[in-house]
This record gives sequence, C-alpha cells and structure tokens, in this order.
Amino acid sequence: MSALVLDGLTKRYGPVTAVHGASLRIPHGQFVCLLGPSGCGKTTLLRMIAGLEDPSGGRLVIDGRDITTAPAHTREFGMVFQSLALFPHLTAGENIAYPLRIRGVPKAEQRKRADELLELVRLPGVADRPVSKLSGGQRQRVAIARALALSPKLFLLDEPLSALDAKLREAMQIELKQLQQRLGITTIVVTHDQREAMTMADLVVVMSQGRIHQAAPPMEVYRQPADAFVADFIGMTNLLEGEVTAPGTAAVPGGTLHLPELPPTGRVLLSVRPEDVIVHPAGMDGPNRLTGTLSFMRDLGASVEFRIDVAGKEIVALSRPQDRPPVAPGGALAVEFPPAACVVLPPMAERPQ
Amino acid sequence: MNETTGKQGLHAALTGGIGRRAVLAGAGTLATVAAIGFPNIVRAQSKTLKVGVYGGYFKESFEKHIFPEFSKATGITVEAIAEPTGEAWLVQLEQAARARQAPADVSMMSQVAMLKGASAELWAPFDLSKIPNAAKVVPHLVNKYPDGKVSGIGAVSWYITLVTNTKSYPQAPDSWAALWDPANKDKLGLLALVSNSFLLEVTAATFFGGTKHLDSEQGQLDCFKKLAELKSNVKLWYRDEAQFEASLKSGEIPMGQYYHDVTGLAAADGQPVRSTFPKEGGILDSGSWAVTRASKAGDLAHVFVDYMCQPSIQALLSRKVGTAPTIDRKMTDLTDQEFAAVSSDIAPIIPRYDLYTSKSDWLNQKWTEMIVG
Amino acid sequence: MIRRAPRGLAEHAPILFPALMLVVFFVIPFSLMIAVSVFRRVPGGFYEPDLVFANYERFLTAFFGGVMSFSLGLAALVAALSVGIAFPFTYRLVKLPRRAQIRWLVFLLSILSLSEVIIGFAWSTLLSRTAGITNLFVALGLMAEPQSLSPSFGALLAGLVYQAFPYTVLVLYPALARLDPYLEEAARTLGSSPLRAFFTVVVPALRNTIVATTIMVFVFALGSYLLPQLLGRPQHWTLSVLITDQAIYQSNMPFAAAMAVFLVLVSLALVGLALLAGRREETA
Repeated sequence: MSALVLDGLTKRYGPVTAVHGASLRIPHGQFVCLLGPSGCGKTTLLRMIAGLEDPSGGRLVIDGRDITTAPAHTREFGMVFQSLALFPHLTAGENIAYPLRIRGVPKAEQRKRADELLELVRLPGVADRPVSKLSGGQRQRVAIARALALSPKLFLLDEPLSALDAKLREAMQIELKQLQQRLGITTIVVTHDQREAMTMADLVVVMSQGRIHQAAPPMEVYRQPADAFVADFIGMTNLLEGEVTAPGTAAVPGGTLHLPELPPTGRVLLSVRPEDVIVHPAGMDGPNRLTGTLSFMRDLGASVEFRIDVAGKEIVALSRPQDRPPVAPGGALAVEFPPAACVVLPPMAERPQ
Repeated sequence: MNETTGKQGLHAALTGGIGRRAVLAGAGTLATVAAIGFPNIVRAQSKTLKVGVYGGYFKESFEKHIFPEFSKATGITVEAIAEPTGEAWLVQLEQAARARQAPADVSMMSQVAMLKGASAELWAPFDLSKIPNAAKVVPHLVNKYPDGKVSGIGAVSWYITLVTNTKSYPQAPDSWAALWDPANKDKLGLLALVSNSFLLEVTAATFFGGTKHLDSEQGQLDCFKKLAELKSNVKLWYRDEAQFEASLKSGEIPMGQYYHDVTGLAAADGQPVRSTFPKEGGILDSGSWAVTRASKAGDLAHVFVDYMCQPSIQALLSRKVGTAPTIDRKMTDLTDQEFAAVSSDIAPIIPRYDLYTSKSDWLNQKWTEMIVG
Repeated sequence: MIRRAPRGLAEHAPILFPALMLVVFFVIPFSLMIAVSVFRRVPGGFYEPDLVFANYERFLTAFFGGVMSFSLGLAALVAALSVGIAFPFTYRLVKLPRRAQIRWLVFLLSILSLSEVIIGFAWSTLLSRTAGITNLFVALGLMAEPQSLSPSFGALLAGLVYQAFPYTVLVLYPALARLDPYLEEAARTLGSSPLRAFFTVVVPALRNTIVATTIMVFVFALGSYLLPQLLGRPQHWTLSVLITDQAIYQSNMPFAAAMAVFLVLVSLALVGLALLAGRREETA
C-alpha cells in the first residue's frame, strides 16, 4: 500500500533548527493532525510537505515517488492557509476555479466544478459573490473548496479554523472530518488545539521543539503517552517521580506504589490521569494509596475536582459527585492510583515545556 | 570655475535667456514685489542712489570693484538692488512707476526690455550735456526714443562667438558658415531660443549680406529656411549654458556658439577650447543704463552713468568682469591681449532687438516650429 | 448606522483645514491661471485683463497638437516603464529582511534628493561618447568605438524613468508590504509557477494600487521640463518645455496659462477615463 513517507525531514534556518529529522508514514485516507505548542515546527513541517519550504535534509516520498525537491506547483496538493489567502480580486467561484483556469479548463466546466464544490462545502449560490462580501465561516468553506478543486492527493490545512469563534469552530471540525471521510482524502491539519486534534484525527502527531514526540491514534496518545511532554500536553495529568526500590515496587513522595510494569531498577516517571485517581476518606486502607490533605475542591457539575497535597506534591483528582467523600479543605484524604491507570514513562532528563 | 559659472548667470540674465540658476534666483522676485507694496521709506541720506543690477555674479562684481570707487569719487552712496531675471524687472518698474514709485533709480536693462520700456515711455530721457563721457560710447549702444531723446546708455556689452574644441578642430573655423558644413553633422551646440541665440542675424549676415535682410518678412522667412538646413548638424539646442560648456570641453559637442570671455577663461584654465571671431563678426549683445521716470534722483543717476562711461571704468570692467568696452578701445588703456580677451576689431553682428519687440510671438512660433518640427 | 449631517461651524471644523488648504493651494492658483489664460497679451509688455480666446486658438494647431500628443505619449510610456520595473522590484524588496529593506529605502530616498538637473547631467555624461558607458563596452570588446547616446529619445526615457523610479517604489511599497504573502503561495499550491502566480494573483490583487501609481507617475512625467531639454532633441521637448519658454523667456503669461490649463484638463480627462475604464472592468 502506497503512502506519504517523511524520512528524516529537517529544516534549518541558519543556526536554528526548526524541524529535527521528522520521520513518519501516513497511509492513504488518513486524517492526520500535527499538534504542538506554537513554535514547535509543525507549520514548517507542513510547508515542507507542501513544497513551500526546501528541506535542509531528509526525503519526502509519495506513492514511491521522491518529491523532496519538486516545486510546489507540480505537487498537486490542496492547501488551506491560516489567513485563508483567498484572492481578493476574484469572486468565490473564480477563487475555486482558479486552479482549473491555470490548467486551461474551459470556462463552462470551471463554473460547473465551482458549483459542485460549493455544494460539497454546503455553500451553494455564492459563486458570484466577491470574497469580501462573505462571512468568516463562508470564506473558510470557499478556501476548502478551492483546495479541493483538483481532487488533490493530499489535503493540507494550516490552522484552518483558528480565525473562527468557538462555536463555529466546533461545528467546522465535525464537518471537516465528515467531508474528509466522504472524500477519503489523505489530510494533514496543523493545530495547536488538542481538542480539535482529538475530534478529527485518525493519527495525532505531537510535536515540540522541532521533534516528533509521538504519532498515534488519539486515544493511544491520551492513554499511552510516549513521554512526559505528551502526557502533560494532551489533557491534564499527574506526574509522579519515583524510584524502583524492589521488583514491582516504586517509592514516590508520600509512600510506595506496586505496579506490574516497572523497569527492574532506576528512576521512573508515572503519569496518572485525574479521572483515574480514586479519592477515599482518610483511614480507609488499601493498596496503592497515599495519604494527603485536601487543599482545594470545586464542583464542576458533571464532576468534582480535588487538589490534594501529598507529601508536598499536588495531586489532581476528578470523581463523580456521588463518589465524593465527606471532607472539607484542610481535612485528610487517601488517594488511590490503580495500577492499570499508571503509565510508566521514561524518566525526564529535561522536562520540555 | 566659480567665476565662469557666475558669468553664465550674468549673460543669461541680460539676454533674457534663463538658466536654471536664474530660475532658482527668481525667488528673489517675490521679495522685491513685496517691497514695492510698501510706501517709499523716506531716505535718510539725500545723496543715495538706488542702482538695479542683475543679482548674483554681476551684483557681487559691481559691489566689489565699482560702487566703492564711485562713492569715494562722488560722495554718492549706492544702494545696489538685485534685479530679478527676464522681463519681471521691467514689469515691476512699470507697475511701480504708475504708483510713482522707483524700486531703483537707475537700472541695467536688456536691449529688448529697453525697447519695451521705451514704448511705454518708462524711461526718463537723459540730458547728454550732463554726461560728457556719453559722447565716447559707440553709437549703436546709445538707445533713443523715436524723437531722438536718449532713453538709455550702454552699460556693458559682450560677445557670443563661434567656439570649438581644439582637439576636434585643430584648425579654427573662420566663418559662421562652418555651422552649415555637412561635415559637422551632429556636432553643434546652439542656444535654444530665437531671442538669445541671434542665429537669424548670423544667417542674414553670413548668407544674405547683413542683418538689414531681416527688415522684411520675406527676408525673415529666407533666414528661417536657411537655418533649417543646419538642423541636422545640431546635437544640442541648449538653455543651460553649463551643459554646453561641459560638452564643449570634453569634445562631446565640439562646436557651437558661446560667450567669448567665458570660453577664453576656460582656455586659460587649460581646457581644449577656443573662441573665434568669424569674419562676419561676433554677436555683440549688451545691456543699457536707464532711469525710470518715477525716480527723483535723476541728477545723481546722470553722475553715475557719466562715471560708468569713463574709459578707466570701462577698462576696469573688461579686466574684472569680462565685458567688452562700450566705448572705442583706443580711449582705454587696455592692452591688445586684454582687449582680445573680451572683444575684437572685427565689426560685430548687432542683434535686431526691434524684431523681438514688434514680432516676438511670430518669430518665436516660427523658430519653435523650425527646430521642433 | 445613520449619521446626522454635521450642522454649524463647530461640527464642520475638522474639514475646514483641509478645505482651506485645497482652496489656497489649488483652487485659487488654478482659477488665477484660467483667468490669465483669457487675458490679452500686450506685445512688448505683459498682459491686461480681458476676455479673449486668442491664446486657445493659437494653441489649437497641428504643431501644438503634435507636441501635446508626444508629451502625453511620453508620460504614458514613462509611467508604464516605471511601474513595470518598480512593481517587481518592490515585490522582491518587501520580501527581504527588514534591515536590507531599510538600506534600499534609504538609498532610494537619497536618489529622490537629487535635483532634476543633477540627474540630467549624470545621464548625459553616462551616455556621452567621451566619458560614457560605451567606453566600457569598447573596453569589454562589445563595441568597436565609443558612441554618443545622448541627446536622444532613449536617453530622455532613461532619465525620466530613473527620476520617477524611487517615487514609484515608495508609493507601491506600503501596498505590497501589506499584501498577504500567502496569496502567492496559495497560487503556487494551486498549480501556478511563481512567475504565473505573480501575474495571475499578485498583479491583479493590487490592480487599484497599480492604476493609481501609474496615474501618479504619468502626471509626474507630464510636468517634467528640464530633462527633455537636457537629454532630448527639440522634437522631444514636451509641452511643459514650451510652457516654460512662453512663461519665462517670452513673458507671454496668457499663452503659457492657456497651454497649462489645456494640459491640466487633458490630463484630468485621461485620468478620469483610466479610472472609468477600471471601474467598468471591475463591475463587468
């Protein structure tokens, strides 16, 4: 099966390295999100794929063909820019038909295709409107339609929804995903919004400081983060530093935990999602429990959030309202870390942030 | 070099030909205009004479070499007024005279301006009995009203001659006819205006027996027709003297018409240029002293003009300012060399200033069509 | 939002100053010029107030028609060339690092400070036989012997374009600097080569700026009267040269004014036509 293969793609700007040897294999029809904080190199990586930046090293191969140095206009990828980059001198329809016009497609056919695409993005009847007369959401759809006009092999989007308000953004995320599924087109979206990535992606690629930390399906990224950065960046987590003292036993601040997957020796880092931490009233003994003091508590309606001080380390726990122990801030509590919920991460050499 | 460029300004100012420098100097006009508006401030000293001379090089030279000597000799203080260029000064004098004002008592005027002023009877007639030295001035430099009264007396004169680059022309040409020589294709630099190049007069003198040929319209048309023949020889019709002077020195434009004294100074500087008086004569242009009828200092003006006409002063002007004497050279103590630097014994071609008053628009139109067309 | 029209002096105050400036620096001088253009020329003198159209009649001849067409044609050519060169130049300029941009802009501003006369002299020297560029060509073996390239139409054109170029760049600069750089990239991802993207997206997106700049350079070139004298032959003298001749050398203010009024009206008409054509194109 053919695919898009990134093999050690690197981009340097003088002494600064924006992307360090990014390697990735993207099968056909996948929806990929490049996710990371701003400045992590995700946009540079996307631009290298689009042909808008020349890689300083590495190779880019699609369907077995090396396109590392192919100019952008020969790649036939559709791209949606963060600014949308709609041509201000053209109408919505002309914008969409632009790639067809460039290829000398007859006018009537251009028009027909533009109408089809507007239909596809659920924006019929605006073909003759100048883009300045369209709303933000409408422009978004025109930009998407334009990028899809040539039925490209690859559909690239650079923070496509960042200009929209929260509600519209949610709706567009779902719509974009549905559109991608309908067309079965390999899609790569750059975003810094993990919720957006989780909503849309088949494959989330978490990046930081120019490196790919993890490339995996959303749930795997969440449940099995590859390292402390991913665990911390995707959702909220409790990171516990510990030391293996005996096989299957780790000493952490405030006590010891018994976990089956521990390495035989050395320092370890454990990640436990707040919703996996179980809160018990003080004095109720059991395995993998640490005792602490409730420092803060808030009721979020669907859940209750506890912040518990365990030997100077703050542990966050979420529990259902009905499971809430009768305790007030300042009171003692026990927190349980179920072994199945503890992810053992490689110890942090330096904590990326 | 400074002196040379300054002189171009002088010539341009008096011929009514205006270089760029003069246009810039036109800002001075505004100040003068503004000054006229005010009532005449009562003069503290009765023995003060306001003398209008062209601003820049000319005024500086007069203030340095002439006016102090004059004041010492006569006890009359001179207030030098910088005249604007072109005919603006004439217009100002006319308007001021209507209000019985005199921005200057005596002014140096171009010959065309003299004639125009005379037609409006702007000039107070001179009493020659009070100007004994006027008798020495050559007759064609004395301006007269139709009834014979004297309206102006020659102040300064200078020659425009045939100039060549000595490297391009080892042999000096001896006739204005050289301008028409087919061998000189694309080699000439000539003045761009009918009223400052005086090429109609040159044509008449060279091919039609003299400037009298320009009396009739047919004669004028003859000259235009003849002149049109040299068009293909002309590389540059110049308004800016500095441009032609630089091109002449470099040999880019190796032949043309230019000021005799300026060319002489350049040659003395070691530049490969020469000025030649053709056998038909150099073009003698001049400026005259004239007194506005609104002036109340007529007596002092007479003393001034008489002083200026003295042979010693004319010689001084030749040496220091580079003008040709307005009187017979024999009366001056100029050496042959000094005289040759500013003038020649060959009879001059005297411009037909009358034409530039009576037919100026027509001549200008014909001229422009001739060279542009 | 409906706005009440301003009432009273106080509410009109904000526009009083610009209005005053417009009146003082444009309306009054232009009215004076129109007035003078119908005054009677006094041969040998100046002019007297009158209402005659002789000055316009004199102008309406084949000769002046020829000069006028040449002037307009020259100005149009200068405008087209200046914008044609300055637009791609500025397009590259705005993509340079900030420091390099500033260096270029300072350099261009320093050209602006050169007077027309210095530009004229520099070009006539550069194109001269004795000291000009052809000597370099001879030294390089490209030419047999040095040639004089000035005065000529080409020299005049070069001088005028050189003079107009910095203005053109400075007028184009803000619009090009503001242009979304992703427009061109978008065109490239849609299948346009960089050159094609430039012509199908960048140029049309800035059409209004280009039209306005072209008109500005056109008017600028139309007013040039020194360079045609320094770098052109008489047949290349523009109407502005003849106006100067009449105003300064012939002291014929009425005729000069009539020509100037005519020139202003024809320029305004052409500019209006250009704008009209542009608008029609837009709505089409």
